[in-house]
Amino acid sequence: MTVVSNAFIGLGKAQARALGHAALPLAVIPHPFGSRSRDEVRALAEQCVAEIARLAAEK
Amino acid sequence: MNSSLTRAALVEAPDDLDELIEFFHARRWSDGLPIVPPTRERVARMLSGTTKKPDDVIAKIAPGFGEATVERIAINAVMAGCRVDYLPLLIAASQAMSDPQFNLQGIQATTNPVAVWLLVNGPIAEQLGVNGGMNCLGQGTVANATLGRALRLIMQNIGGALPGDMDRATHGQPGKFSFCCAENEAQSPWEALHIERGFTREQSTVTVIAAAGTHNLNTHADNADELIKVIADTMAFPASNDYWIGGEPWLVLGPQHAAILAAGGLGKFDVKRRLWEESKLSAGRLCAKELSRTQSARGAALGTITSETMLTVAQKAEDIGIVVAGGPGTHTVYVASFGDARAVTKVIGLV
Repeated sequence: MTVVSNAFIGLGKAQARALGHAALPLAVIPHPFGSRSRDEVRALAEQCVAEIARLAAEK
Repeated sequence: MNSSLTRAALVEAPDDLDELIEFFHARRWSDGLPIVPPTRERVARMLSGTTKKPDDVIAKIAPGFGEATVERIAINAVMAGCRVDYLPLLIAASQAMSDPQFNLQGIQATTNPVAVWLLVNGPIAEQLGVNGGMNCLGQGTVANATLGRALRLIMQNIGGALPGDMDRATHGQPGKFSFCCAENEAQSPWEALHIERGFTREQSTVTVIAAAGTHNLNTHADNADELIKVIADTMAFPASNDYWIGGEPWLVLGPQHAAILAAGGLGKFDVKRRLWEESKLSAGRLCAKELSRTQSARGAALGTITSETMLTVAQKAEDIGIVVAGGPGTHTVYVASFGDARAVTKVIGLV
């Protein structure tokens, strides 16, 4: 699985297809990401961690 | 790299030129401009421009990591309007942009407006007619127009970076249609770029550069100190990727400006050093979020970064790229960079 911000879902799906992993699970987080402070990133991570763990555990 | 097992597929397309152009547009195989139909005959003729085999894999092009075979490069070269003898340059450019330090994945998929600038050095520039003189970054020269266009088609059709899909550019920029020129080696007071990068004068090279745009500097400064100051001041703007990452910005010095700097006793590295020192930007000019990510990106190299810190435009003075190009006039072009990429130079192989 991979983590992607919502502005890059299309890229994530297209690249997964191009690399032969069309069913790759994507955990989506809000965009933008790069300009967030460390505290904001930490808060986001806490919101998203359960979903990321669920997708990572999928086979 | 090993040969690919596959050759390009033959596709039946309309005979009528207008219909055929629409056929290409509908499949998003063009850049929005009409293409030259890549018929079997034209592609075969283009392939005569190299001794490499059509199914030789030259590179894998991010973000889709399609295989850039010689044949696929040739097809896109035909579509862009290239002449047969341009093919080896495009093969070298495809190799160059797939070098990991160029970060093609980032360049292709970013929201930033990044064009791949092809900079040509050595005897091949004159042989192919790549313009390094007047209007070298403008229209009107077949080689400049079609080589850059062919590279963009390679990035889009082989790399899969279609605008709005894997190419996530917020605005893009006109240089994404074509961005190609030669260095004006004859009018440079210094060694040419390829020599600076370890090649010989007799070798021909292409350098790929992640260019975020062009910004003209029209200055009548007539001495080296004033000219350095004006250029350095122009380089320093807070929303530049180069400051928060520590990038690799470039200057296309007009020959008149280069002559002024040389007359002031400055070698190329002296110019880099002076610009690096004098273009420092106060971190206090950055917005709070920019300051925060600058700390993340450059803290390991610079230590604690506060609003009092003076940030350099590049990690090292050597990272500022300098070439001489253009015709007469009081102009220099500043090319801010994507930041997270490094230029790559490759020798253009013999056919």
